[in-house]
Amino acid sequence: METEYDQVLHSVAHVKIADQTGDSADVKQDEDGVKVSCFTEVLDDVTLHFQIIRLAKQIYVWIGYNSAKFGNLYAAASTRPSNTVSVATVLGGTSDNTGSGIAHRLVMKTGLNIIMACNIPKNNPLLEAKAEKMLIRKLIDLGYTMPTPLRAT
Amino acid sequence: MESLDANFPVRHRKLSLETNGNKTEIVLCSYEDHILVIATQIGAMGTILHARKEEGMSVEPTFSVSVIFGKRDEPMLIATARRLIDHISSYVPSKPLVLSLGLKDHSSETLKEIVAAVIENRLW
Repeated sequence: METEYDQVLHSVAHVKIADQTGDSADVKQDEDGVKVSCFTEVLDDVTLHFQIIRLAKQIYVWIGYNSAKFGNLYAAASTRPSNTVSVATVLGGTSDNTGSGIAHRLVMKTGLNIIMACNIPKNNPLLEAKAEKMLIRKLIDLGYTMPTPLRAT
Repeated sequence: MESLDANFPVRHRKLSLETNGNKTEIVLCSYEDHILVIATQIGAMGTILHARKEEGMSVEPTFSVSVIFGKRDEPMLIATARRLIDHISSYVPSKPLVLSLGLKDHSSETLKEIVAAVIENRLW
Protein backbone atom coordinates (compact mmCIF):
# COMPACT_ATOMS: atom_id res chain seq x y z
CA MET A 1 0.00 0.00 0.00
CA GLU A 2 1.56 3.22 -1.13
CA THR A 3 1.36 6.07 1.31
CA GLU A 4 0.96 9.64 0.22
CA TYR A 5 4.60 10.19 1.14
CA ASP A 6 5.71 7.45 -1.23
CA GLN A 7 3.58 8.89 -3.99
CA VAL A 8 5.10 12.34 -3.59
CA LEU A 9 8.60 10.83 -3.52
CA HIS A 10 7.92 8.95 -6.72
CA SER A 11 6.63 12.06 -8.42
CA VAL A 12 9.71 14.00 -7.32
CA ALA A 13 11.87 11.30 -8.87
CA HIS A 14 9.99 11.59 -12.14
CA VAL A 15 10.39 15.32 -12.55
CA LYS A 16 12.36 15.38 -15.76
CA ILE A 17 15.21 17.73 -16.40
CA ALA A 18 15.83 16.75 -20.01
CA ASP A 19 13.17 18.97 -21.60
CA GLN A 20 13.78 22.50 -20.56
CA THR A 21 11.11 24.97 -21.54
CA GLY A 22 11.02 28.51 -20.36
CA ASP A 23 12.46 31.69 -21.65
CA SER A 24 16.14 31.03 -22.05
CA ALA A 25 16.64 34.37 -23.76
CA ASP A 26 16.04 36.16 -20.47
CA VAL A 27 18.54 33.95 -18.70
CA LYS A 28 21.23 34.65 -21.29
CA GLN A 29 20.84 38.40 -20.96
CA ASP A 30 21.22 38.14 -17.22
CA GLU A 31 24.19 35.81 -17.32
CA ASP A 32 26.53 38.41 -15.96
CA GLY A 33 24.09 39.68 -13.42
CA VAL A 34 22.47 38.29 -10.34
CA LYS A 35 18.84 37.26 -10.62
CA VAL A 36 16.51 37.09 -7.63
CA SER A 37 13.23 35.15 -7.85
CA CYS A 38 10.69 35.04 -5.04
CA PHE A 39 7.44 33.12 -4.87
CA THR A 40 5.03 31.73 -2.34
CA GLU A 41 2.99 28.53 -2.41
CA VAL A 42 0.19 27.60 -0.07
CA LEU A 43 -0.28 23.92 0.78
CA ASP A 44 -3.26 22.96 2.94
CA ASP A 45 -2.65 25.09 6.02
CA VAL A 46 1.03 25.72 5.40
CA THR A 47 2.58 28.65 3.55
CA LEU A 48 5.94 28.04 1.91
CA HIS A 49 8.04 30.97 0.75
CA PHE A 50 10.83 30.43 -1.74
CA GLN A 51 13.63 32.76 -2.66
CA ILE A 52 16.12 31.83 -5.37
CA ILE A 53 19.19 33.97 -6.01
CA ARG A 54 21.11 32.90 -9.08
CA LEU A 55 24.78 33.75 -9.15
CA ALA A 56 26.91 32.78 -12.13
CA LYS A 57 28.36 29.62 -10.61
CA GLN A 58 26.16 29.01 -7.61
CA ILE A 59 22.57 29.18 -6.52
CA TYR A 60 21.33 30.42 -3.17
CA VAL A 61 17.93 29.20 -2.07
CA TRP A 62 15.82 30.10 0.94
CA ILE A 63 12.75 28.13 1.98
CA GLY A 64 10.51 29.73 4.57
CA TYR A 65 7.89 27.75 6.46
CA ASN A 66 5.05 30.06 7.50
CA SER A 67 7.50 32.82 8.44
CA ALA A 68 10.43 34.84 7.22
CA LYS A 69 12.93 33.26 9.58
CA PHE A 70 16.27 32.43 8.05
CA GLY A 71 16.59 28.91 9.47
CA ASN A 72 19.65 26.73 9.08
CA LEU A 73 22.21 27.19 6.34
CA TYR A 74 23.60 24.30 4.29
CA ALA A 75 26.16 24.12 1.51
CA ALA A 76 25.99 21.27 -0.99
CA ALA A 77 27.91 20.42 -4.12
CA SER A 78 29.14 17.47 -6.11
CA THR A 79 32.62 16.42 -5.14
CA ARG A 80 35.33 14.81 -7.20
CA PRO A 81 36.37 12.17 -8.11
CA SER A 82 33.24 10.09 -8.03
CA ASN A 83 30.67 12.88 -8.43
CA THR A 84 28.96 12.07 -5.18
CA VAL A 85 27.19 14.90 -3.40
CA SER A 86 28.50 16.36 -0.17
CA VAL A 87 26.47 18.50 2.20
CA ALA A 88 27.76 20.63 5.06
CA THR A 89 25.70 22.35 7.73
CA VAL A 90 27.15 25.83 7.75
CA LEU A 91 24.98 27.60 10.27
CA GLY A 92 22.64 26.35 12.93
CA GLY A 93 20.95 22.99 12.86
CA THR A 94 21.36 20.07 15.15
CA SER A 95 21.73 16.60 13.76
CA ASP A 96 18.35 16.64 12.07
CA ASN A 97 18.34 16.30 8.33
CA THR A 98 15.46 18.53 7.31
CA GLY A 99 17.35 20.93 5.13
CA SER A 100 20.41 18.86 4.40
CA GLY A 101 18.33 16.14 2.73
CA ILE A 102 16.69 18.68 0.45
CA ALA A 103 20.03 20.30 -0.39
CA HIS A 104 21.53 16.90 -1.16
CA ARG A 105 18.72 15.90 -3.52
CA LEU A 106 18.68 19.33 -5.15
CA VAL A 107 22.31 18.94 -6.17
CA MET A 108 21.69 15.39 -7.33
CA LYS A 109 18.76 16.42 -9.48
CA THR A 110 20.11 19.66 -10.86
CA GLY A 111 23.89 19.36 -10.81
CA LEU A 112 24.17 22.87 -9.35
CA ASN A 113 26.35 24.19 -6.59
CA ILE A 114 23.85 25.11 -3.87
CA ILE A 115 23.75 27.18 -0.69
CA MET A 116 20.43 26.66 1.03
CA ALA A 117 18.74 28.24 4.02
CA CYS A 118 15.66 26.48 5.29
CA ASN A 119 13.48 26.68 8.40
CA ILE A 120 11.16 23.74 7.75
CA PRO A 121 10.65 21.91 11.04
CA LYS A 122 11.87 18.38 11.41
CA ASN A 123 9.77 15.21 11.42
CA ASN A 124 7.77 16.36 8.45
CA PRO A 125 9.00 14.34 5.48
CA LEU A 126 5.87 14.92 3.38
CA LEU A 127 6.28 18.67 3.60
CA GLU A 128 9.97 18.36 2.80
CA ALA A 129 9.24 16.32 -0.28
CA LYS A 130 6.58 18.76 -1.50
CA ALA A 131 8.83 21.78 -0.93
CA GLU A 132 11.64 20.03 -2.77
CA LYS A 133 9.41 19.20 -5.71
CA MET A 134 8.17 22.80 -6.02
CA LEU A 135 11.68 24.10 -5.86
CA ILE A 136 13.05 21.73 -8.47
CA ARG A 137 10.16 22.51 -10.78
CA LYS A 138 10.83 26.23 -10.40
CA LEU A 139 14.55 25.80 -11.00
CA ILE A 140 13.78 23.91 -14.20
CA ASP A 141 11.24 26.54 -15.30
CA LEU A 142 13.77 29.29 -14.73
CA GLY A 143 16.30 27.38 -16.78
CA TYR A 144 18.92 27.20 -14.06
CA THR A 145 19.50 23.46 -14.10
CA MET A 146 22.50 21.87 -15.78
CA PRO A 147 21.86 20.04 -19.05
CA THR A 148 23.24 16.75 -17.75
CA PRO A 149 22.24 15.99 -14.18
CA LEU A 150 24.43 13.80 -12.01
CA ARG A 151 21.89 11.03 -11.78
CA ALA A 152 18.96 10.17 -14.02
CA THR A 153 16.40 9.76 -11.22
CA MET B 1 16.53 47.77 -7.52
CA GLU B 2 13.95 47.19 -4.80
CA SER B 3 12.05 43.94 -4.37
CA LEU B 4 9.13 43.69 -6.77
CA ASP B 5 6.68 41.63 -4.76
CA ALA B 6 5.27 43.70 -1.93
CA ASN B 7 3.58 40.65 -0.39
CA PHE B 8 6.69 38.55 -0.09
CA PRO B 9 7.78 38.52 3.54
CA VAL B 10 11.47 38.98 2.76
CA ARG B 11 12.55 42.31 1.34
CA HIS B 12 15.56 42.39 -0.90
CA ARG B 13 17.60 44.91 -2.82
CA LYS B 14 20.09 44.34 -5.60
CA LEU B 15 22.89 46.67 -6.60
CA SER B 16 25.98 46.65 -8.70
CA LEU B 17 29.18 48.64 -8.40
CA GLU B 18 32.52 48.90 -10.10
CA THR B 19 35.58 48.79 -7.84
CA ASN B 20 39.20 48.55 -8.95
CA GLY B 21 38.11 47.37 -12.37
CA ASN B 22 35.98 44.53 -10.96
CA LYS B 23 32.21 44.43 -11.15
CA THR B 24 30.70 43.66 -7.77
CA GLU B 25 27.14 42.47 -7.45
CA ILE B 26 25.54 43.04 -4.08
CA VAL B 27 22.28 41.57 -2.81
CA LEU B 28 20.78 42.59 0.52
CA CYS B 29 17.98 40.52 2.08
CA SER B 30 16.12 41.21 5.26
CA TYR B 31 14.67 38.14 6.97
CA GLU B 32 12.71 38.13 10.19
CA ASP B 33 15.66 37.19 12.31
CA HIS B 34 18.73 37.73 10.10
CA ILE B 35 20.21 40.07 7.57
CA LEU B 36 21.87 38.52 4.55
CA VAL B 37 24.41 40.44 2.47
CA ILE B 38 25.95 38.83 -0.61
CA ALA B 39 28.81 40.63 -2.35
CA THR B 40 30.27 38.76 -5.26
CA GLN B 41 32.78 39.33 -8.03
CA ILE B 42 33.39 35.67 -8.80
CA GLY B 43 29.81 34.50 -9.41
CA ALA B 44 29.70 32.50 -6.20
CA MET B 45 29.10 33.23 -2.56
CA GLY B 46 32.73 32.64 -1.60
CA THR B 47 33.49 33.06 2.05
CA ILE B 48 30.50 33.20 4.40
CA LEU B 49 30.75 35.00 7.73
CA HIS B 50 28.39 35.25 10.65
CA ALA B 51 28.37 38.30 12.90
CA ARG B 52 26.26 38.94 15.96
CA LYS B 53 25.96 41.51 18.70
CA GLU B 54 26.57 39.91 22.04
CA GLU B 55 24.20 40.41 24.93
CA GLY B 56 26.36 42.02 27.55
CA MET B 57 26.27 43.99 30.71
CA SER B 58 28.88 46.54 29.73
CA VAL B 59 28.15 49.90 28.16
CA GLU B 60 30.27 49.22 25.09
CA PRO B 61 28.71 46.68 22.75
CA THR B 62 30.66 43.57 21.89
CA PHE B 63 30.36 41.55 18.71
CA SER B 64 31.07 38.00 17.77
CA VAL B 65 32.30 37.56 14.21
CA SER B 66 33.36 34.27 12.68
CA VAL B 67 33.97 32.69 9.30
CA ILE B 68 31.55 29.81 8.89
CA PHE B 69 32.49 28.76 5.37
CA GLY B 70 35.57 29.52 3.29
CA LYS B 71 38.72 31.50 3.91
CA ARG B 72 39.65 31.72 7.54
CA ASP B 73 42.96 33.52 7.09
CA GLU B 74 41.74 36.86 5.74
CA PRO B 75 41.39 39.33 8.60
CA MET B 76 40.03 42.01 6.27
CA LEU B 77 36.91 39.95 5.65
CA ILE B 78 36.30 39.62 9.37
CA ALA B 79 36.88 43.35 9.78
CA THR B 80 34.30 44.03 7.07
CA ALA B 81 31.73 41.85 8.83
CA ARG B 82 32.53 43.57 12.11
CA ARG B 83 32.05 47.00 10.51
CA LEU B 84 28.73 45.98 9.03
CA ILE B 85 27.29 44.36 12.16
CA ASP B 86 28.30 47.44 14.12
CA HIS B 87 26.22 49.51 11.74
CA ILE B 88 23.31 47.08 11.50
CA SER B 89 23.00 46.62 15.24
CA SER B 90 22.49 50.33 15.74
CA TYR B 91 19.31 50.00 13.69
CA VAL B 92 18.13 46.45 14.39
CA PRO B 93 20.06 45.22 17.39
CA SER B 94 18.64 41.72 17.47
CA LYS B 95 19.41 40.64 13.93
CA PRO B 96 22.66 38.83 13.25
CA LEU B 97 24.37 39.23 9.91
CA VAL B 98 25.23 36.54 7.41
CA LEU B 99 27.76 38.07 5.05
CA SER B 100 28.98 36.38 1.91
CA LEU B 101 32.06 37.79 0.21
CA GLY B 102 33.07 36.20 -3.07
CA LEU B 103 35.75 38.63 -4.14
CA LYS B 104 38.69 38.55 -6.52
CA ASP B 105 40.43 41.35 -4.71
CA HIS B 106 40.45 41.70 -0.94
CA SER B 107 41.99 45.14 -0.82
CA SER B 108 40.73 47.53 1.81
CA GLU B 109 39.58 50.05 -0.83
CA THR B 110 37.23 47.50 -2.37
CA LEU B 111 35.91 46.40 1.00
CA LYS B 112 35.36 49.99 2.10
CA GLU B 113 33.41 50.69 -1.06
CA ILE B 114 31.30 47.60 -0.52
CA VAL B 115 30.56 48.61 3.07
CA ALA B 116 29.68 52.14 1.96
CA ALA B 117 27.34 50.83 -0.74
CA VAL B 118 25.62 48.47 1.69
CA ILE B 119 25.15 51.23 4.28
CA GLU B 120 23.86 53.66 1.70
CA ASN B 121 21.32 51.15 0.38
CA ARG B 122 20.35 49.61 3.64
CA LEU B 123 17.07 47.78 4.10
CA TRP B 124 16.90 48.12 7.87
